[in-house]
Amino acid sequence: MDCFTRSYDPALKKANVAELMQNDRFELVQGDLVQMDLHGILDGVDLVFHMAAQAGVRSSWGKEFEFYLHHNVLATQRLLEACRDKQPSRLVYASSSSVYGDQREYPSSEEATPRPVSPYGVTKLAAEHLCVLYWKSYKVPSVSLRYFTVYGPRQRPDMAFHRFLKAIWSNVPLVIYGDGRQSRDFTYVSDIVDANLRAAEAGRPGKVYNIGGGARASLREVLGILEKITGRRPQVSWERREMGDVLHTMADLTLASREIGYRPTVGLEEGLARQWDWMRCWLEKMPQISALGRVSPLPPGQG
Amino acid sequence: MSWRWRMEMALPKDLLEILACPKCVREPGCTGELEYRESANQLVCHHCRLVYRIEEDIPVMLIDEATPLEE
Repeated sequence: MDCFTRSYDPALKKANVAELMQNDRFELVQGDLVQMDLHGILDGVDLVFHMAAQAGVRSSWGKEFEFYLHHNVLATQRLLEACRDKQPSRLVYASSSSVYGDQREYPSSEEATPRPVSPYGVTKLAAEHLCVLYWKSYKVPSVSLRYFTVYGPRQRPDMAFHRFLKAIWSNVPLVIYGDGRQSRDFTYVSDIVDANLRAAEAGRPGKVYNIGGGARASLREVLGILEKITGRRPQVSWERREMGDVLHTMADLTLASREIGYRPTVGLEEGLARQWDWMRCWLEKMPQISALGRVSPLPPGQG
Repeated sequence: MSWRWRMEMALPKDLLEILACPKCVREPGCTGELEYRESANQLVCHHCRLVYRIEEDIPVMLIDEATPLEE
């Protein structure tokens, strides 16, 4: 199920599932978890991967918070209520490293006190607590995974690497908020998939696991990697740091390694190279899709 | 995007069986039953008199995007 909200162009989202739509074992319904009768949808379902959410940290302030409450908190509660009756063998919930906020110590273990610095992080944490609560109260076997900055092919267009690579391809300056010393534990998408499958099989109900990429890099370090893999020196437009952005993230993977056998396998340089390959192909071969949200290239000679 | 292979197929029966009108399904005594109109590629709720379109093989089960049944 997907709501295909207009957080970014739904045509881009649908393009991501175009290949799957050709598989007769794949079925997709556009619906809102809050509105739908999920009992029917969950009939005979053994595993539920709950990744539905209103994403984005910076846009979660102000009036938009209502959407975050709806799609992140209320939607999760409705799904958990339906799972209470249908009892799948696992519900794997996509939580976020944003629940940590700015911590005093790194890496962050699951035992650290969450201190979200964005309304988005608050909603992800609330939904995570609901998952734990429904396990304790109604034996809904939920497992929560705190994703640390996921990247790779089909990354959301508002996320940093997508914007960076698109700007480099288009020969326009990429925008960095802050001084570039902020760092992230970047996680390649196939490692996230692996973690989900492991959690569905071996995750302990009611538990929360960090899922990171295994190393931390600052945005300044990322710029160096981008230059190496693209062969182009990125032009940078430095902007003021935005409210809601954390300074650093880094996952302690001890628990995930011990309990579900998770170990990230794709390093940052390799992962970024794969995303660059995908993005070039995507922008060159799918002009009708890539035109959505296109940035205008600089005149020749200014690149 | 070419979804031609699937576009020639009707909505799978198993999918049809699990779908219900999101507007009335929780009302007492209402099942949210939908009629599938293959020629028009629509799902119709006679209770709410709403039409849910099927777009590129995806049933769009959003109340805000449903249209009034005109008949």
